[in-house]
Amino acid sequence: MRRTIVILAALGYFGASLLLVAGFGYLWHRTDPAPEQPIAFPHTVHAGNLRMPCTFCHVFAELSRHAGAPPVQKCMDCHRAIATDREEIRKLTRHYEEKRPIEWKRVYAVPDFIYFSHKRHLRAGLECSTCHGDVAGMKRVRRVSNLVMGWCVSCHRARKAPLDCPTCHK
Amino acid sequence: MKWGMVIDLQKCTGCGECVAACKRENNVAIVEPKESAMGRTMLWMDMLTIYEGEYPRLRVRQIPRPCMHCDHPPCAKVCPVRATYINEEGIVAQIYPQCIGCRYCMAACPYTVKSFNWYKPEWSPGIRNTANPDVSVRPVGVVEKCTFCVHRRQKAKEQAKSEARELREDEYQPACAEGCPTGAIVFGDLENSRHRVNHLAHSPRATRLLEDLGTEPKVVYLKEGD
Repeated sequence: MRRTIVILAALGYFGASLLLVAGFGYLWHRTDPAPEQPIAFPHTVHAGNLRMPCTFCHVFAELSRHAGAPPVQKCMDCHRAIATDREEIRKLTRHYEEKRPIEWKRVYAVPDFIYFSHKRHLRAGLECSTCHGDVAGMKRVRRVSNLVMGWCVSCHRARKAPLDCPTCHK
Repeated sequence: MKWGMVIDLQKCTGCGECVAACKRENNVAIVEPKESAMGRTMLWMDMLTIYEGEYPRLRVRQIPRPCMHCDHPPCAKVCPVRATYINEEGIVAQIYPQCIGCRYCMAACPYTVKSFNWYKPEWSPGIRNTANPDVSVRPVGVVEKCTFCVHRRQKAKEQAKSEARELREDEYQPACAEGCPTGAIVFGDLENSRHRVNHLAHSPRATRLLEDLGTEPKVVYLKEGD
């Protein structure tokens, strides 16, 4: 009798821990992989139909750690003349005229203890799509990789990239 | 490649610039006086003060003390989760997300260079804005220590790789060496004969702290003359 109680208690304890871990795991991955953006920018048109290279707008990807979002000025270079009657472009023009930057919602983010450089990865010959997926085919950008350490390391192993911890951890 | 540091005690004036530079560079938390009295002061680079003799003939020695980055690090041997280990460039790294906060390494370190995060670090608003974005702020419950400013190596290495060349000596210097006004702290590759540390480490004045423990520290002190 006492034995069964002990066994049950132990099982209950481990079961509860398992549930807790699963719960945290669930919450962790629940962040929206495709957040709604302030302007419904279609990558399908720009990167898809028009075949603009990624670095045309994300100019810093090849030059620095951050890929960066383009300034509104860059959009207006074309959209002063192109498709000015569309609702989303009107929104863009308002931003430009009021000198308000567009607050894009972040889709990909690494934790602050990670050193990650777009430049190094592009110089190593990776395509943007290796990590970001087929953005040209996405109406609203969706996160396709979970950016967990195992995911980074599997690629680093396969491509014989450095595996020393301080390569990425800071 | 083996990164190491030479501290010339003859040149060192004990001004404490290395301590301050390190603290700002690495976002090391500022601890309240009450906590500090409990031995919770957080300094990656400390200034050891040694008093010799008595008042009229008192002599004060100031010894800057970073992490020794031992070749046989006792901290790495006791770490149960490999949060601290020595990498192939001789840097004893501390990986914060891996650390479980058991503090075995703090007990093992004969130089007491490691500090534990008892609290979430807090800065006054003005100082918070000057935090270094290249160094992560450590969470509660992990051990931290001098990393030889490994984030500077990340940056310098990236630049060197992009230009397809070797890392130059002056490109990767930790904040303490860079800040030292008398040039007492020299940093570089101990195995590279073109680096200054290589010559200085073989000077007859060279000595290491607690050498008899066999930890083989890579921080070399040059003794003062009399």
